[in-house]
Amino acid sequence: MKLRISCITVIVAIITSGCVTAAIENARVEATGLLEGEAIVVMAKSYHQGNETEADYIQCVETALGYGANALNVVPAQQFIDKLFPWFEPRTAPSNTKGLMQFMEKLGVSKAIELMGVRYIVWIDGDTERVTQGGSLSCAAGPGGGGCFGFAWWQDDADYEASIWDLDQSESVGTVTADYSGTSFLPALVIPIPLIARTQARACGGLAKQLKTFIIGGEQV
Amino acid sequence: MIATRYFRYSIILIVAFAAGCASNVTVEGPSIPRPHFDKLPLIVALRLPAEFQDFVHEENVLGRESWTIRLGSSNAKFFTQLFGYMFDNVIVLGPDDDMLDYTFDALVEPKIEGFEFSVPNQSKTDAFTVWVRYRMQVFDSVGTSASTWTVSAYGKSQTEGLSGEKALQRAAVLAMRDAAALILLQMDKATNIGVLADGPINTGKPDSGEASDGKSINDEPTVFDIFTIGGIDEVTN
Repeated sequence: MKLRISCITVIVAIITSGCVTAAIENARVEATGLLEGEAIVVMAKSYHQGNETEADYIQCVETALGYGANALNVVPAQQFIDKLFPWFEPRTAPSNTKGLMQFMEKLGVSKAIELMGVRYIVWIDGDTERVTQGGSLSCAAGPGGGGCFGFAWWQDDADYEASIWDLDQSESVGTVTADYSGTSFLPALVIPIPLIARTQARACGGLAKQLKTFIIGGEQV
Repeated sequence: MIATRYFRYSIILIVAFAAGCASNVTVEGPSIPRPHFDKLPLIVALRLPAEFQDFVHEENVLGRESWTIRLGSSNAKFFTQLFGYMFDNVIVLGPDDDMLDYTFDALVEPKIEGFEFSVPNQSKTDAFTVWVRYRMQVFDSVGTSASTWTVSAYGKSQTEGLSGEKALQRAAVLAMRDAAALILLQMDKATNIGVLADGPINTGKPDSGEASDGKSINDEPTVFDIFTIGGIDEVTN
């Protein structure tokens, strides 16, 4: 009975999800690896630099990196920022590796980072946008009941880039990019049936998986 | 009797409708983390204006929504905590305290010069943004104006997972925290307040101004402005 319910759930989930295409690439500059007790922190690039990365996407990547196979030790971003105040605020955080070297020389910064055990900062840039949509759908209700008729669709593109900085070496060790495109459909014949493409969620899972491989696995190519 | 009942229902409907278009945000004030910062060896008197105890900003957005942001006493708490991290000794003065009753190296009078915000409807983004501008006047130990510095800071918060009120509240807190970072890292450079540890400035000119309590007079202050966008090193004179 349980098996039957599980099968039905899986089939319904597959049928009712839209199409998502994915492309993940990484570019390694230096070898990587995490020792026992070392951690990473996931940050959105500063809004002072015009970055629009969604806070919930950062949270999703942070969570995905910290759980499952090859889980990494992730320090929450706000804790990291607070411990380094005022050197890692949106205004003052280093925006490039040249700034990273200067940042590491600031009063108390190296010591605070050492205490937290943070080895890598993962900077995430990018966002999910609705690129196109179409179709029409109308619903009506009356005393005898109601219903919808029509067909609507939309396409979301999720483009994210993660730059990984090694705080031990004060340099960038590479980037991982995730480009996902998902089309959702909403046909309605009395009852609307949403076939939703979870583009952003897939981009989160894909990027996190690749980041784990990149950070743990890493020999220079 | 029926007319009275209809009148009562009408009032309830009007109030309910008006409440639907108005948002109230109360900012408790940011708690600033202990900074990595060497305190300046100064005794500083911090004179907090009355508006720092109960600041309220009201704004109608495009004639559709009304927003009220109550900062309450968060500015007073913010500056008291920040200056406690910045200087060896801080004396907090109220608007009616007489500065001549106290001994200090420098007196700082912060004021809110501007407070603005944008909501997603205006910016066509998913974010609330708050800009705050503080004007800080620095006096020496005898009340001569040493410098004036304008600090512009901003904070931005997306609405995801948050109500509009919460997002605006967070943006306001981030703006104040941004101001804190700027004041910590730039105040001495911008105002030369550290020099006042050696004694009052010598203007060599007749005095011409006065602190807000009217007890002292001063020379024309040096005005500094630091703008937010573009980094912390843009100090213009």
